[in-house]
Amino acid sequence: MSGEPVISGRGVTKHFKGLAAIDGVDFAVPAGSIHGLIGPNGAGKSTLFNLITGYYPLTSGEIYFQGQRIDALPTYKRNQLGIARAFQISKPFPALTVRENVGIGAMFGRPERSDSSAVTDAALEITGLTEFADRTAEGLTVGTLRKLEIARAFATRPAVLLADEPCAGLNPFETEAMVACLRRIRDHGVAIWLVEHDMRAVMSVCEHIIVIEAGRKIAEGSPQTVANDPAVIEAYLGAPVEDEDADEEADNARP
Amino acid sequence: MKSWLLLPLVIVLVIAGYFLPQWLSPFHVRVVQFFFFAAALAVAWNILGGFSGYWSFGHTAFIGIGAFAAAHFSMRIGMFGAQPFSIVVPIIIGGLVSAIVAAIIAYPILRLRGIYFAIAMLGVGQVFAELANNIRWFQGGVGLFVTAPMPPGVPPERFYYYVFGILLAITFVTSVAVRYSRLGAGLIAIREDEDTAGMLGVPAERYKIAAFVISASLVGMLGAAYAFSVGYFTTSTVFRIDFSLNMIVYSLIGGLGTLFGPVIGAAIMLFVTQVLLSHLLEVHLLITGLIVVTIVLVIPKGILGTLSDAMQRRRSVDRGKAQPVGEAR
Repeated sequence: MSGEPVISGRGVTKHFKGLAAIDGVDFAVPAGSIHGLIGPNGAGKSTLFNLITGYYPLTSGEIYFQGQRIDALPTYKRNQLGIARAFQISKPFPALTVRENVGIGAMFGRPERSDSSAVTDAALEITGLTEFADRTAEGLTVGTLRKLEIARAFATRPAVLLADEPCAGLNPFETEAMVACLRRIRDHGVAIWLVEHDMRAVMSVCEHIIVIEAGRKIAEGSPQTVANDPAVIEAYLGAPVEDEDADEEADNARP
Repeated sequence: MKSWLLLPLVIVLVIAGYFLPQWLSPFHVRVVQFFFFAAALAVAWNILGGFSGYWSFGHTAFIGIGAFAAAHFSMRIGMFGAQPFSIVVPIIIGGLVSAIVAAIIAYPILRLRGIYFAIAMLGVGQVFAELANNIRWFQGGVGLFVTAPMPPGVPPERFYYYVFGILLAITFVTSVAVRYSRLGAGLIAIREDEDTAGMLGVPAERYKIAAFVISASLVGMLGAAYAFSVGYFTTSTVFRIDFSLNMIVYSLIGGLGTLFGPVIGAAIMLFVTQVLLSHLLEVHLLITGLIVVTIVLVIPKGILGTLSDAMQRRRSVDRGKAQPVGEAR
């Protein structure tokens, strides 16, 4: 791992009425890298992103953006610093066109003096949405909505983009296009932290992966290290049982 | 936008607006005057309710606050300026006091969303009406006399025709300015999805408060002018639930969140209720209600919203012919 972390957290913890949804998680995402965040359903991946963007307040712990502590800032200020978020469930502004949707991100976002319509065009271009620019978001297909989520987040000129399952619901073809798009965004100097269930996508694109289960970090490292980590295999497939059938079951249950 | 057309159009409108009362009967001048008032209220309501999606059911509070502020100011402190303009200062005071009250209640009340905000505002309207009625100093129960000295030779209905005409112009220009500013874009984003707007850097809290205060100050000015136009008013003259509802209904009929929608909605509803139904007083409200229900059922996006949808559909059909829209390539 090289370079200053763009975002990092120490002992990040969130309790919902006594239930620890995120429990003492440490993380650091270096600038300009593609990081992965994986874990079984309900592990707390989206919750962690919600804490970083400020949708929920922390119970305890600290979150830093480029060395500046941000865990008390409101959501919009964190975005203006350079943290963008693409939602798992697409949340377009339904009555607005694709261009207007992206334009909101460009107009607000990081307040550096630049031409917001040029930023909008660049974001449409990089995600391949140019041909849909004048359509209203209402009635777009899942694939286009996913691109819109990414385009809108990219238009805020972030230093880090938290991408929550951008490939969910996409066919293999579209998934590949999305991965290529994320790489292009990374090449613009934007660090990406990616939550994804499509293991092939995660393994191929991420330089470093953090694995959480039930709110705790159970492993981290390169894709190979993580894939061979017994704790990770256990989290996904269950504990090994001294039984002949177990191997067979493990083969059938693919993540 | 054919913006070069705009200036001549505005000039023609202003000249026509100036000479119109000479051709109309006093009754019809009063109808148009009331149209200006109602349309301006709806436009002001639309800045909050239409752009940001926060439906206030108690905007009559600001009519009342503006009216009481202007009346007490001119009664206790006096009128300033020469004859036709002496009404200006109290109107500004009405707007100012409304804005201050709005700024004070904005922070807690705008934390509520959707129907909860609507209901809370209903309560706000009620609370201020009770205060005006029950605190003797306000004289809301016995009523207040407010008169502005008329310019010689100008009948009052014509004078107030101009007053409300100018206020409508101010309100409309404010609405356009808000819509095409960053504030306007942010408010639309808030209406569409407030949490997402925040994620994209829109300072939702600040923007909602700004829209609320702007909207309230315009309504306060209108309330102040209304107090002068009626000459004598009590609490129930200015704190009226039907004022609040009309602002919503006009915006809804014309097209929520559009610039011209509230004006068109007010024009249609006032034409129907004041002109067409003026001889059918017994069934007047019944028919008004029927019209509202029908419009909401048939074209829930209002007249302008439905028109722009239809145009959008035609455009995308045209494009569909030119090149089939495919998802994956």
